[in-house]
Amino acid sequence: MPALPPFLLRLALAVLIAALAVAAFRLVSAGLLARARALAARLAEFEPGTPGIVYFTTPDCVACRAAQRPALKELKDRLAGRLQVIEIDAYERPELAKAWRVLTVPTTFVLDRDGRARHVNQGVATASKLLSQLARFS
Amino acid sequence: MAESLGTVDHSSLRVNQAAIIVLLVAAYVANFPWLSLFVAGVMLAGTLVGRPGFLPLYAGVLRPLGIVKPDPIPDNPQPHRFAQGFGGVVAAAAGIACLLGGEVLGWVLAWIVVALAALNLFAGFCAGCAVYYWLNRLGVPGFAKNPPEGTFPGMRPKRLGAA
Repeated sequence: MPALPPFLLRLALAVLIAALAVAAFRLVSAGLLARARALAARLAEFEPGTPGIVYFTTPDCVACRAAQRPALKELKDRLAGRLQVIEIDAYERPELAKAWRVLTVPTTFVLDRDGRARHVNQGVATASKLLSQLARFS
Repeated sequence: MAESLGTVDHSSLRVNQAAIIVLLVAAYVANFPWLSLFVAGVMLAGTLVGRPGFLPLYAGVLRPLGIVKPDPIPDNPQPHRFAQGFGGVVAAAAGIACLLGGEVLGWVLAWIVVALAALNLFAGFCAGCAVYYWLNRLGVPGFAKNPPEGTFPGMRPKRLGAA
């Protein structure tokens, strides 16, 4: 059987690396979600009956201020009373950030009415992305 | 991070990240380290002038053709500039390592740049935010407390009363 030309071999390896990276990212996100499912219902600020977003941020996170917070405000305005947003300063409540396995900021956890975590976004999540995640279980 | 919000066109950032990813992966597939050095040069030049390195591609080709639309957002340009500079240094190291015979190290470094650019492009993952967050959590001196207003992470705070 003829050996693959080096170019094709490297191309195949590049595709494999990309696939493994995507799988690893999804695995980490799934692990975070599984852990968050057990914690969300115990969050004091969460009021059962309304879907919610738990939003971890820090005062020095520019991406949080510039992009994530406006996206959450847009979502709240659009859903008017049908969404609760719980903002947590990861510096002020490090035990909570540690319990939820927050790896970076901004991180948003999307909760259903019963407080079960359904999605996690590591990094900025646009209003449309959050809306589509909320729509999956509304 | 410093509270110096201006307006940053995030479309130009996304085009920059996409170009970096495509060219570095192409460099790897073609086993052509000089392409990695070219990407590094563009990134470092962009960092020096405070613009995305592949801005000419965005402003001169993609935007006029209507392939991408501007997406200006109030943002601080400094973290993006830092990320581009850091990526440029690593991409340069990748090219140099390959040319000096350290191909495995070189291409691993190139893939690190690809991974960070891809995380930012596809997941909105801010590597700078993550680094600063973890340095604070680990209690690294200089990062254990919130910096004074207007201080860029790692930099000395301005003197009280200074402009």
